[in-house]
Amino acid sequence: MATQNGNANEDYAMLRKANPVLSDGTPIADLFNLETREVSLSTMYDPELYRVEMDKIFAKVWLLLGHATEIPKSGDYVVRHMGEDEVIVARDRKGEIHVSLNVCPHRGMHVCTAESGNAQVHKCIYHGWAFRPDGSFVGAPLEKEKMHGDIYPKEKLGLKKARVQLFHGLIFATWNEEAGPLEEQLGDMKFYYDIMFGKTHGGMEVLGPPQRLTIPANWKTAGEQAACDGFHTLTLHRSQFDIGNFGNISDTMEEFVPIMQGVNVADRGNALRCISAATTFASVIGSGEDFNKMSDDERLAKLPPPGIVNAQLLAEMKERLSPEQLHVCAVAPPQVGNMFPNVNLLFIYAPLPDGTLGSGYVVHTINPRGPDKFQWITWFLCEKDTPEEVKDIIRAVAVQTGGTSGLIEQDDSDTWPHMTEAARGSWGRTETLKYQAIGGVNRPEGWPDKANVYAGLSKDDAQWHWWLQYHELMVNK
Amino acid sequence: MSNTAEKIAPFEIPPISLPKPTDSITHYQIQQFLHLDAYLLDHHLLDQWLNILAPDLRYFVPVRQTKERKDRDSEFSTKLGHMDDNFQSIALRVHRLVNTGTAWSEDPASRVRRFVSNVSVWETDVTGEYDVISYLLLTRNRFYQEDYTLLSAERHDRVRRKGETFELVRREVRMDQSVLGMPNLAIFL
Repeated sequence: MATQNGNANEDYAMLRKANPVLSDGTPIADLFNLETREVSLSTMYDPELYRVEMDKIFAKVWLLLGHATEIPKSGDYVVRHMGEDEVIVARDRKGEIHVSLNVCPHRGMHVCTAESGNAQVHKCIYHGWAFRPDGSFVGAPLEKEKMHGDIYPKEKLGLKKARVQLFHGLIFATWNEEAGPLEEQLGDMKFYYDIMFGKTHGGMEVLGPPQRLTIPANWKTAGEQAACDGFHTLTLHRSQFDIGNFGNISDTMEEFVPIMQGVNVADRGNALRCISAATTFASVIGSGEDFNKMSDDERLAKLPPPGIVNAQLLAEMKERLSPEQLHVCAVAPPQVGNMFPNVNLLFIYAPLPDGTLGSGYVVHTINPRGPDKFQWITWFLCEKDTPEEVKDIIRAVAVQTGGTSGLIEQDDSDTWPHMTEAARGSWGRTETLKYQAIGGVNRPEGWPDKANVYAGLSKDDAQWHWWLQYHELMVNK
Repeated sequence: MSNTAEKIAPFEIPPISLPKPTDSITHYQIQQFLHLDAYLLDHHLLDQWLNILAPDLRYFVPVRQTKERKDRDSEFSTKLGHMDDNFQSIALRVHRLVNTGTAWSEDPASRVRRFVSNVSVWETDVTGEYDVISYLLLTRNRFYQEDYTLLSAERHDRVRRKGETFELVRREVRMDQSVLGMPNLAIFL
């Protein structure tokens, strides 16, 4: 990687500045054509670019690590990743959640070797340095002998701590001391995420520990798709139409494709597909009633957003959300999308075996493990106050739809490795990803003025936003 | 003679606590049943495979976490699985794979081989139903890959006599990986 007159470290320092240049002389800015909306396919493999991403994106932004209900009790902990760093996510005696680097400051051993459990003291198995759930240093064995030395006071010998912020129970953390609050990163999209995650008094809970698997692909293959790639539904997920999960197959060949209708919204790389409630109603319930003539209240009663499974939860939702947010739910509830950079969201309706309408919340993180590998973490959630027997149904249906064996998502995870494999070739890497099917801003009457709004058939607008945000962090910052 | 294992061990050795296995004929028949199961799956005879599944099937692949030894009882989630299916949902999976021509996660199909060994069979409280534990070593190869993705697991099955043969009533697949090493479970275990 060294250039003629420099060494690898100097090159790397260059890459951390604004307008970085890769060692082959390519400015990172040149990987984009902002006019024609193209991105070099080399981005899906380049190991050098990957190192820059780790520093400029993953070490800077707020990252999703899990949900507060995974660690309900004092001392509960789970081990997760921020970029390639392992962190301990733990709850202290006061109930506060802390995120600490899982690296002993003594000799670099992982302090926690299990992935979840309960402990008021995390004791490194190597030399016995011990830490509290908040990361602070308890002490080292042979206290009188000062085995932790006499140079640093104990306060300086805790685990490295990340900043933590909760969003409706979702645990976010960042290493960046200068980052604004999470709300800044969510931008205008907070309005929609509040709908998804904050619509009941009890809030959400996880339905179990997350599924984890390894995908031999660059993290961005899944990352950019999550930002409203509605188009792939028609071909990659074609079998869903064939088996009757996505409505009538003949419709997909027409210009009016029900599943692709709705409103895409995007801001700062965060994007959501709000899928038309009328088309969902027609394809899933199909009672023949004219959904378009109904009031918002009538619509919400007939087709509440995914996860609102009874009248009690619906009443809570009406209390908690603004009229504007309720209007969104009645017209086109947010269902599929992302949170920049590496969160993927899928809130689904699913017809149940008994003919009624079930639903499920699927939340993924895409954790990079090298330029050609990532871990795909999948949480299944529901509203905490969902009746227990309904939770069991939701859990099974969601697992059959999303995640490891999900009938929808198993096709995605088999596609991404091809893109990274393609990006390794001398010619493959010169190809571009194209985001040229643009609909333009188009806000329907009555739709709130929140984020960039693209109504109609799902096109490339929101996905391009994802890349603009990536560009902003990689090139300009 | 005083150096028996009991005397030289640093602690009291407990007796083996496994129940007595079933008779050798039943054991053989059930082993053949497991071979049939693997043959049908390895040879993409998924529609025929449905014949050996009971209508009241429960098929579960629990999520696993690495835990400290003292917490080992809670390694496997009793609630959340990588797969959580019944006969109806399995049949839908098979329908998608066999009849649509658009089940891309397995088209082109993976080349999979299921090595089934270490079979143990126990009788249960229900006449004609047996608890069966077997080891599974599964190799999966796909597309251009020069190497295999491997999956090793222990299968806890309940099988029921059905005429001359058996049917699968319950399968719980306890994988040895906490992080699955393949991008999906579009295949059956």
